[in-house]
Amino acid sequence: MMKIVRLCQFSDVDKLVELAHKAGPGMTTLKPDPSAQAARIDRVRRTIEGSAAIADQGYLFLMEETDTGEIVGVCGIETAVGLEQPFYTYRIDTSVYASREMHIWSKMDKLTISHDLTGYTELCSLFLDPLHRVSCNGALLSKSRFMFLAQFSDRFGERVCAEMRGVFDEKGDSPFWRALGSHFYRIDFHEADRLVSLGKKSFLAELMPRFPVYIDFLPDDAKACIGATHKDTTPARHLLESEGLRLERHIDIFEAGPVLEARIDSLRVMRESGLCSVVISDTHKAAPSAPHLIATGKLKKFRTGLIYTAPEQGLIMLTPAEAKALQVSTGDQVRMMEAYPRRVV
Amino acid sequence: MLIVRPGKLSDLDQLERMARSKGPILHSLPPDRARLQELILRSIDSLQNEIDYPGEESYLFVLEENGTLYGSASIVALAGQHEPFYAFRNEVVVHASRELHVNHRIHALVMSHELTSCTRLTGFYIEPEKAAYADLLSRARLLFIAQHRQRFCKDIFSVLPGIADAEGNSPFWESVGRKFTRRDFAEMERESAGRSRGFIAEVMPVDPLYVPLLSIDAQRVMGEPHPGSRLPYQSHLDEGFEPDRFIDIFDAGPILTNTLDACYSLRHSALHHLAYTSDVHGTASYLVCNTSASEFRCIKTHLPKQLSHDIALPTALAATLEVSTGSDVRCVKLNHSGAA
Repeated sequence: MMKIVRLCQFSDVDKLVELAHKAGPGMTTLKPDPSAQAARIDRVRRTIEGSAAIADQGYLFLMEETDTGEIVGVCGIETAVGLEQPFYTYRIDTSVYASREMHIWSKMDKLTISHDLTGYTELCSLFLDPLHRVSCNGALLSKSRFMFLAQFSDRFGERVCAEMRGVFDEKGDSPFWRALGSHFYRIDFHEADRLVSLGKKSFLAELMPRFPVYIDFLPDDAKACIGATHKDTTPARHLLESEGLRLERHIDIFEAGPVLEARIDSLRVMRESGLCSVVISDTHKAAPSAPHLIATGKLKKFRTGLIYTAPEQGLIMLTPAEAKALQVSTGDQVRMMEAYPRRVV
Repeated sequence: MLIVRPGKLSDLDQLERMARSKGPILHSLPPDRARLQELILRSIDSLQNEIDYPGEESYLFVLEENGTLYGSASIVALAGQHEPFYAFRNEVVVHASRELHVNHRIHALVMSHELTSCTRLTGFYIEPEKAAYADLLSRARLLFIAQHRQRFCKDIFSVLPGIADAEGNSPFWESVGRKFTRRDFAEMERESAGRSRGFIAEVMPVDPLYVPLLSIDAQRVMGEPHPGSRLPYQSHLDEGFEPDRFIDIFDAGPILTNTLDACYSLRHSALHHLAYTSDVHGTASYLVCNTSASEFRCIKTHLPKQLSHDIALPTALAATLEVSTGSDVRCVKLNHSGAA
């Protein structure tokens, strides 16, 4: 029994819709709508085949239980955000107000609407069935995308980002929205979020603050939201951070959640992953090791799994069951990386 | 009889006494003898020189009765001679979305230099016991300007003290200035006294401030005059000044603006020929001034509702104005647009 992450296909529409039902209304990018999911999968097909424009390119991956074919998770990569609809973030800028004559030195951070992340590759749409949020499933699902980025780096630009869900109070309201967005948008946070998920984004540009906003003018509960992650999202954030993404200077314009970012060439996967050849043997049992991500090489047939075996001298020993799940044969090239960075003791 | 006349060096003691009396600390008299002396000297100098266009001049007037001073008011010919004059401009940003059926206005404060090349009315102070003469003291300056137009800019404004508590704490400063300077309002005012105000550019926000993000207390005092300034505030309204375009960057006190052409005292004042002196009976309040710069005198009196070109004034009043039969005097009938 093994879970693998693979690209989504047309035959997955029903399963994807079923998964979306489990995600609930909070997950605005995963709706239980068959036509919307079919359109998304078609976009993946056109992306793979090379007929989609850069603005339209995107990948959707599913986590599948290989024995049963059950779909338990989904995640995506958008090749380049903001090329069609603008991609808005707040950039945190620093200005210092100082006068030597008056012995004044005061650092004031401000939020400025930005399109800085235009053209960034985005990691997105991650959802794992709550029943399967155990062992390394979350790590496999999230990190499979890094294996894909490394394996097909010529399909992506220089930089990658990921928006993380921000902080909400016990009533489900965003203190940041209350203090800032509500003055400008005059609609409810969830209504605004819903419109964005429907692609009705023009109101963003029409209503957003055009001038920078000094953070010091916000109440404390709103300030505390800036760059902070919802507690349910914190493990996902740590996974991405372990791969080299960081909160730099960008946050979500609605709820101030962090937008993590990195140069693709500085990701851990670019340093620590490597290629090796598959050897299948049902007699020779490899020594157990720390979990490793293993990704197959072919674009359409891309699959990532997690095995507890380490490569040796450019070879990776797989059991026939593992080879079957990953759809590899002896002699195939695969990319491998330890699933978790080693702690420096 | 109360008169308004240019300040002179012998007024220094009394000016210092008034400057040290309790009152709003901004935009009135500096409680500093050396600075006061400098202001008087500059005023004397400005009045004596032939001036064809506004420059470094400033004019200091005092309200006097029988040798006792009860107030003072000044004019700065050009608000920013060597550096900008800073003010917050009230701007409205319209945010509209057809899709959401949203259309609303958001106020923002924008640091502006627009008032730099305007004439500034400033330094207004009046003793409470003579408050009834606030209009004389404040508006005498506009009669002076009417008589000596070439000395001033075509636009004019006046900054009045904003709301502050008895300790001198300003709610607007607490919400805005303090964030950028980390200083008390009074401390800031004291330390900046006598210095170039160039530091303002260094320490105040370069970006517009959205008003809804300011504290409620700060929003409430924007453009509100200090209780002690209601009378001059009303005098400015009577002159047709607009109160809402700008506010002070420190305490959000009102900055009232007008063009000289639109000032009531410039539109409605006229030169009259003093044909003879005699007792005059009238029911309308007038301000009357002479045509001299360095010996400027202005008084408030009652005259008939309708004045012909040739007028009469009582002998004592003519003497106070330092005019005699055959002189020209400038008169304006006082109006009161609101409750004074």
